[in-house]
Amino acid sequence: MTPRPPRLAGWLLTHLLADEWADFVIGDLEEEFARRARLSPASARAWFWRAALGCLAAPPPVSRHTEQLHSSPPAGDPAVRTLFADFSYSLRVLLRAPSFSLAVIAVLALGIGANTAIFSIVNTVLLRPLPYTDSARLVRIFHTPPAATFPGLRTFPVSPANFYDWKRETTRFENMAIYRFEPFTMSADGRANAVLGGAVGDGFFDIVGMPPAMGRTFRAEEDAPGLERVAVLSDGFWRTRFGADRDVVGRTITLSDEGYTIVGVMPQGFSLKTWGIGGVDLWVPLAYTDQARAVRDNHNAQVVARLKRGVDVAAANAELSAVSSHLEAEYPQANAGWGAVVIPLQQVLAGDARTPLLILLAAVGLVLLIACANVGNLLFARALGRRKELAIRAALGAGRARVFQQLLVETLVLACAGGAAGVLLARVTLRAGASILVTNHVPRADEIAIDGSVLLFALALSLLTGVLAGTAPAFRAGRADLNDALKEGGRSDAGVVGIRTRRMLIACEVTLSVMLLMGAALMIRTLSALRSVDAGYDAANVLTMTTRLPATRYKTPAQISAYYKASLDKLRALPGVESAGIIDDLPTQGGSVQPIVLEGHAELLPRDQPTVEVRKITPGYLKTMRIPLVRGRDVGDNDTDVMLVSRSAAKLLWGDRDPIGTRVTLPLESKTRPSTIVGIVGDVKQGELSAGVEPSVYQYTQEHDWRGMTFAIRTAVPPLSIAASAVASVRSIDVEQPIEQVRTMQAVVDETLTSQRFSALLLGIFASVALVLASLGIFSVLSYIVRGRSREIGIRTALGAGTADVLRLVIVEGMTPALAGIAAGAVGVFASAKLLQKVVYGVSGSDPLTLGAVAITLALVALTASLVPAYRASRVNPLTVLRAE
Amino acid sequence: MWFKSAARTAPVLGDFEQLVLLGVLRLGADASGAAIRREIHERSNRDVSINAVYTTLDRLEGKRLLRSSVGDPTPERGGRRRKFYALTPGGSAALKQAYRSFTAMAEGFESALSTR
Repeated sequence: MTPRPPRLAGWLLTHLLADEWADFVIGDLEEEFARRARLSPASARAWFWRAALGCLAAPPPVSRHTEQLHSSPPAGDPAVRTLFADFSYSLRVLLRAPSFSLAVIAVLALGIGANTAIFSIVNTVLLRPLPYTDSARLVRIFHTPPAATFPGLRTFPVSPANFYDWKRETTRFENMAIYRFEPFTMSADGRANAVLGGAVGDGFFDIVGMPPAMGRTFRAEEDAPGLERVAVLSDGFWRTRFGADRDVVGRTITLSDEGYTIVGVMPQGFSLKTWGIGGVDLWVPLAYTDQARAVRDNHNAQVVARLKRGVDVAAANAELSAVSSHLEAEYPQANAGWGAVVIPLQQVLAGDARTPLLILLAAVGLVLLIACANVGNLLFARALGRRKELAIRAALGAGRARVFQQLLVETLVLACAGGAAGVLLARVTLRAGASILVTNHVPRADEIAIDGSVLLFALALSLLTGVLAGTAPAFRAGRADLNDALKEGGRSDAGVVGIRTRRMLIACEVTLSVMLLMGAALMIRTLSALRSVDAGYDAANVLTMTTRLPATRYKTPAQISAYYKASLDKLRALPGVESAGIIDDLPTQGGSVQPIVLEGHAELLPRDQPTVEVRKITPGYLKTMRIPLVRGRDVGDNDTDVMLVSRSAAKLLWGDRDPIGTRVTLPLESKTRPSTIVGIVGDVKQGELSAGVEPSVYQYTQEHDWRGMTFAIRTAVPPLSIAASAVASVRSIDVEQPIEQVRTMQAVVDETLTSQRFSALLLGIFASVALVLASLGIFSVLSYIVRGRSREIGIRTALGAGTADVLRLVIVEGMTPALAGIAAGAVGVFASAKLLQKVVYGVSGSDPLTLGAVAITLALVALTASLVPAYRASRVNPLTVLRAE
Repeated sequence: MWFKSAARTAPVLGDFEQLVLLGVLRLGADASGAAIRREIHERSNRDVSINAVYTTLDRLEGKRLLRSSVGDPTPERGGRRRKFYALTPGGSAALKQAYRSFTAMAEGFESALSTR
């Protein structure tokens, strides 16, 4: 196909060039384009645009004689022609004042660009449907745990028996599937690596609704134990591990020492990382035994379901609640207090990102408003400078509406140029920031892109911005008094007009800046509050690493214990290591929550039975994490079935009595093997740093099943400096055993703060932009006022006003709107405090100290911006000014 | 005579006007805007914009140094017509005078001015 010249450029030429020239110019351009396109279509297009814009900016003159020859009225709708005329006139006017145009375009590009970037994220995370068939009908189902024993938790994993009952007894779901995560060790070519798998029940792939890229997904009959093992690979795993080999289906891989036949590969779009199960490396059938299906009191599985067509979430919830309360009555021992809830999949994925994103969107909207106010200010100054031109137009018969339209079209042209630049800016920023988005766990970060709806948003924003910023100045300009304007002759800067509106604009800018700065300051304070929060342990100088022992090679607790014992011995012998211990789940990483029963007490119904965080540890863990021992002793190598309880757990379970020496059972693990409490330890935040401390127990036993465990190693040297030798020494015990996630405890903690850090970073950037824009606004208006009032200042000086008086005059002029803006901003802060309260920690949404600091900062910025114009005013020489009269 | 001869009153040409007129002269019957632009570009290595060429052509036509005619539409131009330019006697005269002044001033310095 022969390349065509850019259609938009051609269209612009056709409509904007004088008829006399259009045919020849466009013909010549197309001819040249065709020539160049033979060499390089891309550069030919670029050339065509350049040449077209050149011709539009400085069109060949319209000869008088031909104009007279064709004096018949031009064709086309007169309103449209006027618009085009205005448009081409605007282009010329704006090109004639390039620094003004560039300033406006830059300010708008910044505002629109920031908005477009944030909106692309919001669009992807909150608005764009998931890439699955009819994804609006996809839902997740969770248990709702008893509020008394699981305070603050609203959703909980599902127990298998309850799931199968739901599936049988509900009618409003097309299908439901149960799944869980399953870590594997994959061995190939003598190396072992940890691989994350998803064990999925019957119907999983059909519900999600995306056919495999190759091979097949699982058959219904494959969801049963004891059959040949099969696996479906994810696109990413297929590419990285199998080099995108098209013959991979039918091959066998070794996962945790078992052979699995690959039956299919899922397409790339299926691998939604945010949706945990979508982001795994491969899937295998869940294949629950009848015994596993009957487990009702252990909540450890996930559920995805598809609603029937026409069923909404509320109806599904109603039905599920009914089924659930019936099950609660039927199995009170396991189900008392446990409900169920249906949540749309998209909502689950957006999760916690929703509130911070909406706050960011609001913040970036404020930046745009500030940009509008700034551009409004620039337009004002310019419209006043052009009063003479406008007056002449009016004198020649242009109505107010006509002038208004012309100026508005000019602004819209600027806004669209700013919008185009903004979209580019957003694109560049998103590209550059892609890795930041991913590491900050923004949901669906890998999908974020500028698509049609984002472009539409940017266009709408540009038009809105143009109207918002342009209306007031255009309106004022259209109202200018003809007589005055012409009388003032060539002095376009004399007199001060429209100053009240411009003061208002400054006040608005300052108001919005206060709110933005407040948001940024609060996020920074939140971060530092979270960083310095006492989590109950010392994360500094601790190295952590994880391993997972497969059941095939490590069958008995003795084998497992031997492995860990040998590992710890090797680690402790390393130079630079102070102590080492093992835990199943590190703080901040979540973990098991279980009911706990004191010896001599009957087990209550789930809604009444207290629960605690249960962690498995080895001797050395407490010391390594520097968790203080309050009373009693630490666990020791020779202990069997001992337990440490946290201070809050002791208070919860024993009140004022002494727990040491008493015995408890964890009925989910064993109803017959109690543990003896040997010590009370300090409280630790097991979950998020912003949450409270959870009552916890630490169990040490010889009868265990420690598959996935994490080493914690306290070092006297920087932790990462011994990482390699630590991994090597543990691997020397079993070379086939992968060691994963080698990182410092500080990094583990920091990862939980990414959302706050992300918000603080962006709000900080927005606030800085706001400050710069606001100070520029104040500066430009004051400069304008000083110029306009130089005569008055000259007279004052001549009459004996000192430098200090003149300085005060100008500074008061600048500070008055700024202070009004600060006051209004404070009101705005109080109004928005409730929203901010949701994302801040350790500080109130309207913290007076922060607000004071913000107010002082802005006052100082306003003062600084006033200084240069004030200095200029004080240098006004009365003689020069008065002589000019 | 009391009036100056036509050759002597030929208007003084600007640098770019000379290039354009020379382009018309070189191209003969093919002298359209795009061809002139290309000729100038290829020979003098000056990358001139097409609108500058048109503006100059229009000015020269206004000074009656060029005349124009409109050709038939061709498919390679997207079915658009072409405008051809030709020197008028006045145009030839102006070009001659410019050439004369140039060679007169350069006389004796040919080797010094030559780039090769």
